[in-house]
Amino acid sequence: MPALASFTLRRLARGLVTVWFAVTVTFLLLRLLPGDPALAIASPTMTEETRAAVLERYGLADPLVVQYGRYLLALVQGDLGTSFTQGQPVSSVLLERLPWTLLLTGAALVVTVLVGIPLGVLAAARAGSGLDRLVQGLGVTGQSLFVPSVGVLLLYVLGLQLGWFPIGGAYDRDVYGGEWYLSVLRHLALPALSLALVQLGAYVITLRSTLIEALGEDYCALARAGGIPYRRVLWKHALRNALLPTTTLVGLQLGFLVGGAVLTETVYAYPGVGRGIYEAVTQLDFPVLQGAFVLLAVTVVVANLLTDLVYGLLDPRVRT
Amino acid sequence: MSRGSRAAAAVVAAAALALTACAPSAPEGEGSGDGGATGSGVGPLVVATTTDVVNFNPLIGNSRTDSWVTDLMYPRLLHINEDGEKEAALATDWGYSDDLTGYFEIRDDMSWSDGEPITAEDVAWTLQSVLDDQPAGTLLGQMGAVESVEAVSDTRVELHLSEPDAVVVPEVGFWAVVVPQHVFEPEGSLADFANDAPQADGSWVSAGPYALTEVQRGQSYTMERVEDYPLADDGAPNASEVVFRVYPDVNTELLALESGEVDLVANALPPSQVERLQSADGIEVAEVPGLGYAHLVYNMDEPRLAQVDVRRALAAAVDYDTIREVVLQGQAVSAGSNPLIPVLSQFAPEDAEEYAFDPQAARDLMASAGVDDTSFRLLYNLTDPVMAQAAQLMEEQAAEAGITLELDGRERNAYLAATDAGDYDVYLGNFAIMDDPVTNFRLSYLPGGVINYTHVDDPDLTALVEEAGRQLEVADQVPVMQEAAEIVKDQVYDNIMYTQNLYIAHSDEWSGFVVQPSELLSVVNPVSLANATTAG
Repeated sequence: MPALASFTLRRLARGLVTVWFAVTVTFLLLRLLPGDPALAIASPTMTEETRAAVLERYGLADPLVVQYGRYLLALVQGDLGTSFTQGQPVSSVLLERLPWTLLLTGAALVVTVLVGIPLGVLAAARAGSGLDRLVQGLGVTGQSLFVPSVGVLLLYVLGLQLGWFPIGGAYDRDVYGGEWYLSVLRHLALPALSLALVQLGAYVITLRSTLIEALGEDYCALARAGGIPYRRVLWKHALRNALLPTTTLVGLQLGFLVGGAVLTETVYAYPGVGRGIYEAVTQLDFPVLQGAFVLLAVTVVVANLLTDLVYGLLDPRVRT
Repeated sequence: MSRGSRAAAAVVAAAALALTACAPSAPEGEGSGDGGATGSGVGPLVVATTTDVVNFNPLIGNSRTDSWVTDLMYPRLLHINEDGEKEAALATDWGYSDDLTGYFEIRDDMSWSDGEPITAEDVAWTLQSVLDDQPAGTLLGQMGAVESVEAVSDTRVELHLSEPDAVVVPEVGFWAVVVPQHVFEPEGSLADFANDAPQADGSWVSAGPYALTEVQRGQSYTMERVEDYPLADDGAPNASEVVFRVYPDVNTELLALESGEVDLVANALPPSQVERLQSADGIEVAEVPGLGYAHLVYNMDEPRLAQVDVRRALAAAVDYDTIREVVLQGQAVSAGSNPLIPVLSQFAPEDAEEYAFDPQAARDLMASAGVDDTSFRLLYNLTDPVMAQAAQLMEEQAAEAGITLELDGRERNAYLAATDAGDYDVYLGNFAIMDDPVTNFRLSYLPGGVINYTHVDDPDLTALVEEAGRQLEVADQVPVMQEAAEIVKDQVYDNIMYTQNLYIAHSDEWSGFVVQPSELLSVVNPVSLANATTAG
């Protein structure tokens, strides 16, 4: 079997095991949560009979192993179950929200990469200078920011005080066609900026250090000795190699982005999967939580798989 | 462009493509899909809420935020006024025709939005279906004495009881929400019907001041005014639309109010925000009486706490005034340590005196009980900032009396489960709605009561509560209930600390709101939102 095919199959198998592991851990963790879903679904003043009926109706009265087996069987058939609280299929609850999360995290990634690469290059090119120290300082500060605090601050300054952006939501009511898309962009700006701000530091610092390392390599020294201008060596030679770890970081950061989206979507009243997770936690809606985590696990695994495959294509040493 | 940014751009492009499915279509024209609604009127009135509607079937679940929307769709038989007294809504008269028969007489001038009249059959079918299908909601718990329900005429419903019960009629009247039989019955069990899809014309069949016409989950719920709503002062609602917008974070909600994007925040303000918003330009703050209370409960299954002197010692180790002033910034009224809270003015004794904060008396009582180990675990809801702060103050105050309170704050669901399991020494919590004292006492202090967390079993108290339940006139219930309340207070079966006043913020461009007690009803009740106007 060709090395690339074998490499792909191994990564695929590893991805499947990871998803199964995530599904199982999620299933068990939710049931270990201290809390009674019947209390969240019905009323604290319900009778024991009502409580038993609620647990029976939602299949929570069965032994754990039976619930697990039933869940796995349904899952391989593409059935994520039915929301306890909304009475709707989990897949439709999540699919309704997924485009918003994809848009938000994708936009945040684009902003991060577009701003992060020039900043990282600038810092590396002027390593040790005041500018480098400033960029590093900002990078470290950005990593320590708490998403909700950033969100409320941006909303207060840019939304309430300056009135440049709307306060929460994904779009305005009563707008249609092109105006609707513009409204979507206006509502997207602040949450995407918040997410980008808190993850930018990781990109800048990673890129800076890998770029400084690359610039010290023999091939860069040779290129410069051969008369190639420094700017060209920096952007065409060193940056290309330094971007490999950054590509990996994009895959790794996806998980972080999704985690950040839970808080960002909650603060900005953005109707994505993250906010769905927040609401499902407060309502102990196990099926929605399980479905959301399966969706996120699959997303992260697929992103990492694609990153691995791209890396494998770029660097044959990885395939072994 | 790097590979990373290409991938991200691809994600954005895919999401944008998927979003085209979310893009709303422009309305085809006036009058389409309005379910009898009409576009005239002032406004729209935009109301901020904290969560999406979980159930459009008002007989399932216990969500306050759901009720804000569904109360505008489906009528209640009775409302409650600022003095805590039940008053007419869909029902115009109610009571008992004999010991085992209760009745409601309903209005004959209300219709569903599809033109069908609301009749006693709708009421009887709703109540009987709750008995038969047992949906997981609050109403079923109020119907213990009801055996069956029937419509005896177009406007009269009778409840057949298994035993005389003086509170079942007002309680059912207050908690029951009437749904259209001709829509709900074909859908099968009431317990399983989500009611989450509109009729063919795009709206839900309803009978409130506003008809739900558009749902954008995660975003907004749009309700258009109806032509005819007899419970409004002018016979019709004033606002052209009521739009509920969802803001999970209370800080964002308040920013939206201050920016003018919303006109009213439905949930009560955090105490720390009240003073600031009272003086903010363009905002008014309405005061709403609470209909519940915050209390401390002592687990009498624990041998030390089974002694009344130990419970009295713990009650004397709390400085209630300080808690109300510091934690609630004065936004609460003392209940005089009495479960007949002041808002229930017919029942509340005028001279109820609160347990005094007296550390020395607490020490003496603990000593007289012969208790050496004065360490107790205090369970509370960590996610409720008021309770969390109160618990910390209590810890300090109890220390003055030589009592150690070990703070056990838990996330809400974990806290509810621990409460239910009796996993605490001292429990700090609150009830949002205690609208009827007899019902409250039955649930809280009678053996087998579903919120009798401390397993109170006092024959004298039980006899009094049962006697009150047989008194058909409120005036006859009052002295009996006051005697029962004295037992609860004397024996410290329950330590009622205060009723929190609630504050609701709205734009000063709107007026005419009608206040009803509790956060459930406040100024977002249907009569209030029907009367709200921008016309001065």
